Amino acid sequence: MNSQLQRQGSATAVQGTGYTSDQGSPRLRRVTSSRSDQNGPQFNWRPASAAQEDAGQEAAVPPKDLRALPMPMALKRAISQVQQMQVPVLSSFQSWKRSKAKSLSRARKSIGGFLHYITLWRRSLNKIGGNFGDGVQSYFLFLRFLVVLNFLSSMLIIGFVLIPSIVFRSVASDSVNMTDNGTAECRQYDHKPDPLVRYFSYFLDLLSGTGFMEYTYLFYGYYRNTMVAESDFSYNIPLAYLFTAVFYFAFCLICITARAGTAVRVAVATGGGATGSYSRIVFTGWDFGCLSDRATKLKQKNLHYQLQVDLEEERIKNEAASLTLRRKVLLYSSRILLSLVAFGLIIAAFYGIYQATTFSQRKVKETGVLGLFYEYLPSIVITVGNFVVPVLCDQIALLERYNPSITVIVALLRSVFLRMVSLGVLLFTLWSQITCFEGVSEECALCHYNHKSYPCWETRVGQEMYKLTLFDLLITLAMLVLVEFPRRMVVDNSSNKLIQFVGRQEFLVPVNVLGLVYGQTVVWTGALFCPLLPLINTLKFVIVFYAKKITLFSNCRPAAKTFRSTKSKVFFLLVLLFGWSLALVALIYSIAEIHPSMSCGPFHSLVSMWAIVPDSFYSLSLTTQGFLYFIGSQRFSIPLFLFFSVVMCYFIALASVYGKSVDLLKAQLKLEARDKQFLVKQIEELSRTLGVAK
Amino acid sequence: MGNKQTIFTDEQLDAYQDCTFFTRKEILRLHGRYHELAPHLVPMDYTKEPDCKLPLALIVAMPELNENPFRNRIVESFSEDGLGNQSFNDFVDMFSVLSEMAPRELKAIFAFKIYDFNVDNFLCKEDLEQTLNRLTKEELTEEEVQLVCEKAIEEADLDGDHKLSFADFENMITRAPDFLSTFHIRI
Repeated sequence: MNSQLQRQGSATAVQGTGYTSDQGSPRLRRVTSSRSDQNGPQFNWRPASAAQEDAGQEAAVPPKDLRALPMPMALKRAISQVQQMQVPVLSSFQSWKRSKAKSLSRARKSIGGFLHYITLWRRSLNKIGGNFGDGVQSYFLFLRFLVVLNFLSSMLIIGFVLIPSIVFRSVASDSVNMTDNGTAECRQYDHKPDPLVRYFSYFLDLLSGTGFMEYTYLFYGYYRNTMVAESDFSYNIPLAYLFTAVFYFAFCLICITARAGTAVRVAVATGGGATGSYSRIVFTGWDFGCLSDRATKLKQKNLHYQLQVDLEEERIKNEAASLTLRRKVLLYSSRILLSLVAFGLIIAAFYGIYQATTFSQRKVKETGVLGLFYEYLPSIVITVGNFVVPVLCDQIALLERYNPSITVIVALLRSVFLRMVSLGVLLFTLWSQITCFEGVSEECALCHYNHKSYPCWETRVGQEMYKLTLFDLLITLAMLVLVEFPRRMVVDNSSNKLIQFVGRQEFLVPVNVLGLVYGQTVVWTGALFCPLLPLINTLKFVIVFYAKKITLFSNCRPAAKTFRSTKSKVFFLLVLLFGWSLALVALIYSIAEIHPSMSCGPFHSLVSMWAIVPDSFYSLSLTTQGFLYFIGSQRFSIPLFLFFSVVMCYFIALASVYGKSVDLLKAQLKLEARDKQFLVKQIEELSRTLGVAK
Repeated sequence: MGNKQTIFTDEQLDAYQDCTFFTRKEILRLHGRYHELAPHLVPMDYTKEPDCKLPLALIVAMPELNENPFRNRIVESFSEDGLGNQSFNDFVDMFSVLSEMAPRELKAIFAFKIYDFNVDNFLCKEDLEQTLNRLTKEELTEEEVQLVCEKAIEEADLDGDHKLSFADFENMITRAPDFLSTFHIRI
């Protein structure tokens, strides 16, 4: 509303000198300099003359309007005082409503103040943003979001699965359903740790989740299928376990989409910002929040670099448009070839992970440090692959000679693909070994899974995910201590030209964000088998926050190239969603397809984990059953689907209409400006002819 | 804690809360910062609305503004006399508009004022040249500066008068996704 009136105002001030003449229209506000009060924005002090609004609404201008007025403070305070004095005569109901609204707004303000006070790490994030810019700050904001998400989901899991298990373990005994299709051999599970162990092996067990840690609340195998049913209270642990896992995934999805919603809205409203890059850089490029001298100089270099990049891209575009046909063919064929090479490298990495996983699973019985090495072999291979392959892909992307922004995106997409799918390869390998996907089938014929190597396969999968998480943390800390600090000390203390050219390291935001997304995907995949993994991940991310903050302030220099933060927020969340969907596939497969192990866990007597739901379904009351049948039937779901399609079509039509009207208004604006220029020229000519005639 | 302060009356604090985007605590903290700039000039007791203005030189010495190439224009745009002498009201106003909760329209109005160096209500080529030089610390060549200014005006100018009025500026700002986050001073 303000801006519309301002446009009105600037359109009426034809001379463009900024001198305002009161046109008599109410509440006209103009953009003027604050040099002389005469030209200051006008405010209509007489509420009754506003014809459009009725008297009740007029005096009840909500406080928010005051804050958004572009007037000096003294004027605003005077206005608020006048408004408070102009209380109209209201009925008692309206005055009650008004006082309730006021107390509600006051309560909201105090809650807002309280939340602002307890926001996690607010001051650290401010400091990071001021010194290193928005791109780096967005990484830490993302990390904070993941910490809060993991914390809330671990509270969920602890509340619904862990605490009931602890309580009912002592109360009720394990209700074992003897089924015919299980033989005694399948139910064997030797989980007692070796009583005579060295002190050192406790430490190894802590790192790998075996030994004394295996049969604890940490892993799936310790939970029982207790079904407590008392007179007015019943709790079904297997059902709770399953539903908590499903709800955990749904909760994460809701949080991510809610957070992405705001970012996407901004991105859509601003149309991606592809056009108008020069004016955008000039007017919105400077970050007003820069705090230090160093940051300012860097920001200036940054903007200089950006402008040069834009000018360069323009030059490349002009060149590309003028390429001959032969050179175009050459360029495209070289691009295809290099993409194939990059793809081949990624496939080679996957093959390496597959081999490492099978080898490691074969060598499970080894003990000592060598055993630990074999246990961690898949994690090591994944990490090495994640270091080496992206570097090579970066070099390949440079050879492909795209323009600079596309090069960054291409390299990033390849890294994402590599990291996520390498995890997928690991899971696929594990599953193929557990269910004898290929090869020897007699081992699996008896119990529908490989019970000789995996007496309790869920615990084993949980252990793999636990190891991956721990290894990730250890590598981060090791990089910090063994690579980043020494590099800074070498750079600071040597005067070799080459070393100074390489310089201190930069904080590369995309690589670090991918690391976070990878860690979170591992946790999602492993949460079904290792219920305390989200809690462990919360602690891990808190440690990572402080470690990265220390390395940022001690060892890094701010990047010369920016990382645009609005587009990147959407990008991070999309990659996180991609990881989530991968974990969802793993979840669905584990719940629906694979036979749970018969020797441990809450689902040991069932054909599949999902089978607990139909079983408990029949214990509900008949009306509830009837209601649920109705919701699942076609009579309900097809009309619901049609209804949602209609709603979606409505919104799509609305969006296209708005887009068209925006274009129309823009064209109208241009025409009006041309009219204005034409009229001004006419006036000049007329005055000239009149002047000549005189 | 808020009840024991004697700097402002409760009505004054409520009025400040209504007119700016700050909470009570933040307003008191801002008063502390304002006082720090000139402890012998700024009274601790604002209940009688003292008429105290700090000159431009003191305000741009604040660490939040010290490194900003537009610091003089910022302080001038938020002062009543246009020369940069700010009372506490202007001071709070300035940081309120530059805080993260201020809406886009409000920020656009003041951004236009800040970038308008010759204060003629239009962003002409000279204004843009000055802006660009301050942004890049005069590291671009003369030719590049001219090129960028021309391109910028070409992109944003809707009514074809080779300078940017507020309507052009605001239209361009709505398509800039980063504006809200860059036009923001953390205090």
